[in-house]
Amino acid sequence: MIKGLNIKESAQGGLIASTYLGYSLVFWIFPFVWLLILTFSDWQFIGTPSFSGLDNFFNVIQDPLFWKSMKNVFRFLMYYLPMVIFASLFFALGLKKIKYGKSFIALSFLLANVSSGVAYSIVFSKLFSDTGPINDFMNSVFGFTIPWFTNPDFAMFSIAIVITWKFVGYYGLIFYSGLVSIPKEIYDAAELDQTGPVKRLFKITLPLMNAQIIMVVVLAITVAFGIFTEPYLITGGGPLESTTTPMVVMYEAAFQRMEPSWAATMSIFVAIISFTLIWVLRKLFEKNIEIV
Amino acid sequence: MRLSNVKVTIAGLFSLALVAGCGSEKEESASLKMWVAPNAAQEVFWTAVTSEWNSIPGNKPVEFTTIPATGSSEEAVMSALASGTEPDITTNIFSGFAAQLHGLNQIVDFSKLEGYSELIEQRQMHNIMTSWDYDGAKPVIPIYVNPVMYWWRTDILKENGFDKIPTSYDEIYALSEKFTIPNKQYAVQVAAGKNWWDRWFDFVTFYYAQSDGMQYVENNQATYNNEAGLEVLGFIDKMFANKWANYDFGANDPLTTGELIGAVRGPWDISRYEQQHPEILKTIKLGPIPTKDGASDKKTATFADSKGLVLFKSSEMQDDAWKFINWVYSNPKFDLEWIKATSQPPARGDLTSNPIFSDYYKNNPLAKGFAEYVDVAIPSASTSETVAVQRSMTQMLERLIFTDSEIKNSVDTSVEEVNKLLGK
Repeated sequence: MIKGLNIKESAQGGLIASTYLGYSLVFWIFPFVWLLILTFSDWQFIGTPSFSGLDNFFNVIQDPLFWKSMKNVFRFLMYYLPMVIFASLFFALGLKKIKYGKSFIALSFLLANVSSGVAYSIVFSKLFSDTGPINDFMNSVFGFTIPWFTNPDFAMFSIAIVITWKFVGYYGLIFYSGLVSIPKEIYDAAELDQTGPVKRLFKITLPLMNAQIIMVVVLAITVAFGIFTEPYLITGGGPLESTTTPMVVMYEAAFQRMEPSWAATMSIFVAIISFTLIWVLRKLFEKNIEIV
Repeated sequence: MRLSNVKVTIAGLFSLALVAGCGSEKEESASLKMWVAPNAAQEVFWTAVTSEWNSIPGNKPVEFTTIPATGSSEEAVMSALASGTEPDITTNIFSGFAAQLHGLNQIVDFSKLEGYSELIEQRQMHNIMTSWDYDGAKPVIPIYVNPVMYWWRTDILKENGFDKIPTSYDEIYALSEKFTIPNKQYAVQVAAGKNWWDRWFDFVTFYYAQSDGMQYVENNQATYNNEAGLEVLGFIDKMFANKWANYDFGANDPLTTGELIGAVRGPWDISRYEQQHPEILKTIKLGPIPTKDGASDKKTATFADSKGLVLFKSSEMQDDAWKFINWVYSNPKFDLEWIKATSQPPARGDLTSNPIFSDYYKNNPLAKGFAEYVDVAIPSASTSETVAVQRSMTQMLERLIFTDSEIKNSVDTSVEEVNKLLGK
């Protein structure tokens, strides 16, 4: 009887799991195996891939555009990380102080995160263009303009502003969840010890939010390696390839130069570099914080 | 328990079916499948044409859909070829992509089909077809040839004391000096944008005009580091060095906002302006692409945004497909329908001499202006490396605009880069 019941349970379990297994087989394992096949072969979308050994790996490493796009990811992170962490933290601290309409404000900020990349890229390219309203305003008030997207030194910074706008609500909510989980008693004790607000922030709030900060940084790194729509639509990867990201390079290689094997190989490099970066970051900065 | 086993089996079969569904087997079809550009005007045209064809007894029915929504037509076609879901015929193929498809042995050489020579003869397309030659093969039937021209706001030109349209670099310098207010208004647009495809509408267009139609890639070698290329880059460089040009006008059309007096535009802009800016359209006058010495009696060469149709070798109904193509393009009535629907000049050499089009062009002088330049409009170079070539051209321009790079160094670097790539 018990044996029969176990078999029935297993069958039901198998049935439930089969949809997920089927899904994984089609949408995860198949593309992954295909990716591995492509990296060791030469293929142009049509016909059977021919084995090419490690040629794709050497070709990617020798391509200056690959290295340029990698350098651009780090340039982007240099602007984006401080900007998005500061802005999100500021948003979370502000949200904690607000008494009414919290959900409405949180949702308003979160709206940017679910907006269409194509739509807001067009809006930002209009707003920040050399002859756009922001530069018009700056010219009339301060007497100068900023080449937001047309200066090789400024363009990536401007892209970072756009992406910060998109993610500030999302990361802010993650920080907010960390902020509200810090027991009030700790702040009360600090107040009794006459600890100032700056010291409280750096000695209590930020250390106790280590998990959330690490999470946001990890998410930000994955964003940095994955940005495509904004540079592709706003700057076209320029000027002087200063905003060419790995995704732009891989997209152009696969679908415009018709070299999907090359693009697949580059994606392996990108994955290894981003995973390594995240692994190193977690090893160095992640702490196991327990509030007892 | 038995029921559960059945459920598990069904689920397993379902998963297998999902995987099997990704196979590339093509089903035999009773009708010809055709893809057309995702453009309302072209859909109107093809709806009328296919309805007429399908109503003739004995014809293999043609069903058309727009090219599936992806990043580009090229991406959609390549994805379809990879999965074996390509149609029999597709339109919207530009010369560079045709070179790739021909290189991959995917498209039928029309010149080997019966009736091809007669069709070309009847449409007077010999000159046009020289730009669509792939090692002697003719795997594309060009559908339209959109010469790009300079559009001038005559109202602003007059306000600034220019009664004549500028056609030489010196005239543009003079106009720029008078009209430019940095970050506010500029005389002309000499850089069309930041993406690789924008080079078709600045450097390539200026180069064709200055070189009298010479190709920038010939026999797998880049050639634009010649005198014409240097003249064009010198012009662009001087415009930016004097702050008479801007690289970024945002997503607005600066010609409609008065930020510009002249810019490169194509016939497709006529219907857009008719709908959105009819008052401004009344002030527009066409001019040739500016060159160092300006216009002469001879028409100035220009770039042609030209697209054609191809027939895939995988089609099991090649004879029926060719019969349909031949039927459409051997009847000038459809060309007239095409112009009326899209404002784009059909690819034929007798547009201004064939009486069937005379009424239309009489009532549409701007469209006529474009049609007159069809015979000197040259499409993109027939290279499978179009993206890489034009990416390199973008770098060449940006080095001039944003750094102190010398013109000669900048063009030589680009040509060297492209030759290395084409030599692979």
